[in-house]
Formats: sequence, C-alpha cells, structure tokens
Amino acid sequence: MPNVCFYFQVHQPYRLRDYGVFDVGRRHDYFDEKLDEAVLRKVAAKCYGPMNALVEELIARTHGRFRVAYSITGTALEQMERWAPDVFESFRRLARTGAVEFLAETYYHSLAFLGSRDEFDEQVELHGAKLEALLGVRPRVFRNTELIFSNALARRAHDLGFAGVLAEGADRVLGWRSPHFVYSAKGAPDLPVLLKSYRLSDDIAFRFGNRGWEGWPLTADKFASWLQRVNGCGEAINLFMDYETFGEHQWAETGIFEFMRALPDAVLAQRDMRFATPSEVIASCEPRGELDVPDFVSWADSERDLSAWLGNAMQNAALRALYALRGDVLASGDARALEDFRRLTTSDHFYYMCTKFFADGDVHKYFSPYESPYEAHIAFMNALSDLSQRVGSAGLRSAA
Amino acid sequence: MRILTLGWELPPRFAGGVGVVADALLRALAARGHALTYLMPHAFELAGPPGVRLLGPSGESSPERASRLVSYASERPPIRVPGEAVPPAGVPLYGHDLLHEVERFAASAVERVAAAGLAFDAIHAHDWTTFRAGLALRRATGKPLVAHVHITELDKSGGTHANPAVFALEREGIAGADCVVAVSRRIARTCSERYGADPARVRVVYNAVDEACDAIAPPLLPRPLVLFLGRVTLQKGPEYFLEAARRVLDVQPDAHFVMAGTGDLLPRMIELASELGIAQRVSFPGFVDRERAVALYSAADVFVMPSVSEPFGIVPLEAMERGVPVIVSRQSGVSELITNALKCDPWEVERMASLIASALRLPALAHALSENGRAEVARYRWPDAAQRIESIYAELARGAP
Repeated sequence: MPNVCFYFQVHQPYRLRDYGVFDVGRRHDYFDEKLDEAVLRKVAAKCYGPMNALVEELIARTHGRFRVAYSITGTALEQMERWAPDVFESFRRLARTGAVEFLAETYYHSLAFLGSRDEFDEQVELHGAKLEALLGVRPRVFRNTELIFSNALARRAHDLGFAGVLAEGADRVLGWRSPHFVYSAKGAPDLPVLLKSYRLSDDIAFRFGNRGWEGWPLTADKFASWLQRVNGCGEAINLFMDYETFGEHQWAETGIFEFMRALPDAVLAQRDMRFATPSEVIASCEPRGELDVPDFVSWADSERDLSAWLGNAMQNAALRALYALRGDVLASGDARALEDFRRLTTSDHFYYMCTKFFADGDVHKYFSPYESPYEAHIAFMNALSDLSQRVGSAGLRSAA
Repeated sequence: MRILTLGWELPPRFAGGVGVVADALLRALAARGHALTYLMPHAFELAGPPGVRLLGPSGESSPERASRLVSYASERPPIRVPGEAVPPAGVPLYGHDLLHEVERFAASAVERVAAAGLAFDAIHAHDWTTFRAGLALRRATGKPLVAHVHITELDKSGGTHANPAVFALEREGIAGADCVVAVSRRIARTCSERYGADPARVRVVYNAVDEACDAIAPPLLPRPLVLFLGRVTLQKGPEYFLEAARRVLDVQPDAHFVMAGTGDLLPRMIELASELGIAQRVSFPGFVDRERAVALYSAADVFVMPSVSEPFGIVPLEAMERGVPVIVSRQSGVSELITNALKCDPWEVERMASLIASALRLPALAHALSENGRAEVARYRWPDAAQRIESIYAELARGAP
C-alpha cells in the first residue's frame, strides 16, 4: 500500500540590509526588518494563507485521510507571530487536526552542521522547544537545512533521539535503487531515512506551470495515475517541496490550488493509495536497504550537493569567519549579539553569495535581495566585522 | 559583403574612443571576409588595418602625401569633438573649422567614391562627423546607411547646452539612417527619445575588448592601489573618485590612489587632493600611453570608473581582462553589460568608498571579481560585435527592417 507523504518547507530568513563599511562600529542593526515584513506579508497573502485554508478544508473533507507534514523554521515562526498572526493561528489549527505532523530542524535554518556541531545541537534544541511551546508537541522526525544529508548527519540525528530523517533521493546515492522505499544510512542502522522522490516532487514544484513541459497540463487525475504506477514497486512516495510552491513559485494563475484541491480525492480513488505523515511512513515501512552517503547531498539545483552555499571562495571565507566568532559571541554573554550571530547562520546568506549561475541570471538571482553575490558577501562580512567588534573579538582579522 | 565605412580617424593617429572602435570593428569584419573600404576626410600615412582599403582625399591613400597632411589648426576647438584629449604626439586632428570640414567631407564623398570606382552593399558611418557624408552617399547610390552612434551631443553637454549645429547633424543622421547602431541601451534610448529614431530601427551593439597578450611587470607602485584611468574632465566624475578616496583612507589608511589621465580638470583635481588632505596618497601621472596603462592595470587592486555619463566605457573591460576588480558607474553603457563587477551611482560617494574598501580588505571578494570578471570579458570580443554588425548588414541588404 503506497503511502503518499507530503512535506512542505516553510522558511523566511532575516535579510541583511545594504550594510556598508562605514556602518561598522556605527550601527548594529544588520537586518532589514522593513523588507522582511513586506516579504512575509506578501507570501502570507499569496501562499501561506490560501494554502493553509485549503489544507484545512481538505483534511476536513477527507475526514483526516489527507495528511501532510510541515517543517517551519524558527525565524519563520517569529516573523509570522509578528506580521501574520492569523497565518500563525492557522498553523496551530492545523496541528490540532491530528492530520498534520511538524518536523524538526535547526531553528535558524542554518549550515551549523557544517560549521559547528555544538551550534547545530543547540539550534535543533531551540527549534524543538519553540515547537513544543507553540504547538504542544516535540517533533520526532528531523530534516536538516535544505535536506543536507550524509552518514554523519544521520548518526547525529540518531544520537539526538529522532525517530527518522529526511533526505534527497539523489541518483548518486540511490544508484539503481528506487526512492520509493525507506532506507537507513551507514553508521545509523536504527534511523529510518525517507528519500524525496525528486521527479514526482519537481513535477509539482518546478514543472507544474511550464507550458513547454510534456506533462502540462498536470491534472489531479493524471498525477494520481503517476503515483499509482509506484503501486507494487514502492511503498512510500515522498513529495517534499517548498511551501512557496503554492502561490509564489507556481502562481495561482497556473491552477496549482485547484490541482491540490482535487488531488486528495483523485489519489484516494486509486487502489490502495493512502496519505501518510513521515512518522506514519516510518511506522508502516521497514527499511529496505542501507545507503552510504559519505559526502553531503542536498535538494539544491541539479548538482544536489553543497555548491549552492559553499561552492566559491566568498562563501567559504564567510562561513569560516562566522563560526570562528562563535566562541567570543558566547563568551560575551551579550544576548543581542548572540541573536544577531544566529540570524547570520541562516543558509540564505550564503545562497545569496552563490556565483554558479550568476551570469545567466538564474533562479538564485531572482530570490536574492541583492544586486549581485558580491554585494551579498560585502554586507555579510561587514556585519560580521561589526559583530566581532561588539564582542571584543580579535578573530575577524583573518577573514580570508 | 562590400562595406563602405566612414570615419574621421584611425589609431595611432586618433583623438579618442571612436577611432579605436572603428579600427577594431574593421579588423574583425575584415577577418570575417568582408571587403571593406574606409573613407576619411584626410590622408592617412600609415597602412591601416589589414584587409581594409583606405580612401583619402585624393581617392587613394598615399604615403607621399603625408607631408601635405592637413593639420586642423592647433588651437583648442570651440566645439566639443569626439575624444577630447590631445594625443602626446602633438598634432590635433580637429580644428575650429570642424563644421566646415564636416560639410566638405559630405560634399566630396560621393565624388571620391565614384572616382575610385567603388561598389558596395552598405554604408557604415561612425559618429556625427560622418553622418552628412553618409546621407549624401545614400542619396547618390541608394545603398542603405548604418549610423553608428558612439556618443551624442546631449551626453557631452549634459543635455543642457548642446551645440545646435552638432545636434542638428546628429539628428539628421539618426533620423535618416536605415539602421542606427548604438553602443549601449542608454544611447539607444537617447536616439529614439531625443533624436527621433524609430525604435524598430535601432540596434544595440556593445563595444568589446581585445584579448590581453601582454605580460608587463607591474611598476613599483605602493599597494594596495586604486586606479582611475581616463580623461580628467567633468563627464568622468574625477572629483567623486577623490572624495571617495578620502573616505576610504579613513578606514584603510595604507591605500594609494592613482588618477591617470589628463584633461581640463586636472589642475583642479590636484588642488582638490590637497584640500581633502590626501595629496600624499594620490598620484597624478598625467597622460599615459598604452604600455603604461597596461602596467597600471597590472599593479591595480581595484579599478574605478565613476563617470557621470558614459555612453559605453571600454576601459573597465580592459581592467577586467587583466583580472582587476572593477567598480563602475551605473550611468554608463558598460554597466548594462557586465555582471561580475560592483556598481554604484558616482555621486554616492560613501557607497563607492565602501565598495572600494571592501574590495581591498576582502580577499575572497577580490579574487572572485578578478576570476569571474576575466572569464566574463572573454565573451565580449570584437568578432562577436562584428558578427552582430554583419547580421545588420545582411538585414539591410534584404530590405529589412
């Protein structure tokens, strides 16, 4: 009985303002709250609001047979509390339906696993505590930022007590195997790994509105029939995507909401198919094999590696300089500085410094508030410079 | 195809950018197999670009006539001319009689071309001084005319005190040409919005840069070094460069600034550096020839072009070609084209200073700009521009647009 497991990623960063060299030592407000508020309100109106309402409706209509999972970052939760409280409330309502699972991740959607294992542990704890306070439940299943995953990540998740972990079903990890089974990772045999079915996920998340795509137009019945094809040769179809797919990446005009509205009935009408949350998938599916992932995979770009965040010297210099500051930040006892430091750990800052497709003006550029990766790097390093002065650090001199 | 190109000058006897561009395009087009003739108002005593036939005043180029080369007076012309700097070799190419020369050129062009028995498919006129001649040739032969606009009188005068005679000649050429080639979108917009060009007939062909094949040892100059290279005149924003320098020195006291070039504002800039209290950190080498310019690029850590209004701006491409991180004005044509560069408005002095200081103190940033900049300009070669020009010629020959 194939399980259809939807997981939606909800995240908003705190974006850096155009923080220049002469701001260092003068002003300590690195983040452009006006911009963040404007973005959050816009996304809440176009996406979070309408989609939450739709999901609520579908859960009610199917009497809970439509079930989904979310991972919401700490920074997104904070922003919703401040600037879109009704959306915030709707997530709490969704939690109370019993048909929605919330996942764990780093509070600040950070690359801490790559920079500082201690910071990683703390951010995971902060996130779990926040969810518990807001929704009354501790998350059991973990996903790392941008599905960055490796054997080491699996081991850590296991040691932190999680019941399962999500990862990208990248070809180089699977080889000939199918993403439609549950696996475990080498070194963490007791931790089930749910792999994203990237072709089917991306059909919705990336290709849905593309009229040039051979699958266009994608109707609920058509998609349900594709899911049905997995029946008999798979047990879990993991459809993992950014929540902004609904209304932002795929505009309402594409019919994405109508598609989702019709999908549960279309799927449930198929033989044997059911919707499940990650925990339910883990409970009903035995791991069918072991994955060996010595090098990191992620769900980013076609490379599905770390190159979106750490592919160039600017990104690496920034990461090194950032985590080099951690000790002094903690030692300072300055809570505001710690908050600023943690906001700087958000992976988006590094994403904005990516030069991979810069010349072609690809997707990275569209979602960046900066004119170029260079400006992003400058703002980040200047902010670090100021932060380092605040905590009396000698460390930033070797920003190279 | 057979193309008749009209121009005023050629390197090394040239006064500014237009001659350089014309020469580069001629070479690139000749390499693509086109039969090119270059018609100038005066004789040219050198050989000119390979594969290009030169036509001087008597109908043929002839080294013996060099001694009768008309020197267009030695006073500073009252009319602004394309390329204002005086080359060090001395003889200026323009006189206060420039408008007169333009008329003479136009009057004699048809005859000279006929006398040479020249057949051609299209006429390509570089800059306003040749437009009238281009129109005359078009009328006489029925062949299509490309008006190549490198700069406009409105740009040079800041839009407020354009010389009416020059403006009229520009307008005549731009409106009467079958196709207007602009060196940037800003120039293209000026052509359609202020000169009456039909937007459908305007094409943008960006200037390009030659591959660097020089290996010059950097001169012994203090580092880190921030370079300005260009005419020291209002249009190029030199005072913004110095004001930004002062700001940079607040946070980077070991930085050194070079303002390489000459121009009407040079004395004032030297004064300004003293007024700002940064005279010891700024050098003014004056006019630099090609070799010295290349040496400066190899010594520079950052290159800045703070132009207030720049139709294109090849110099930043030359800097990028040599791996120098560049900061360019948004008021330039080249800023439309390049992506691996830092950009700002020239009057945003503090931002410019912040960008300069960042490029100096963040090695990963400088390295990325250097590498990516160099890779990027490899795509902006004269053969690419020539290809675009070629398809314009082909379009015109077919009777389009």
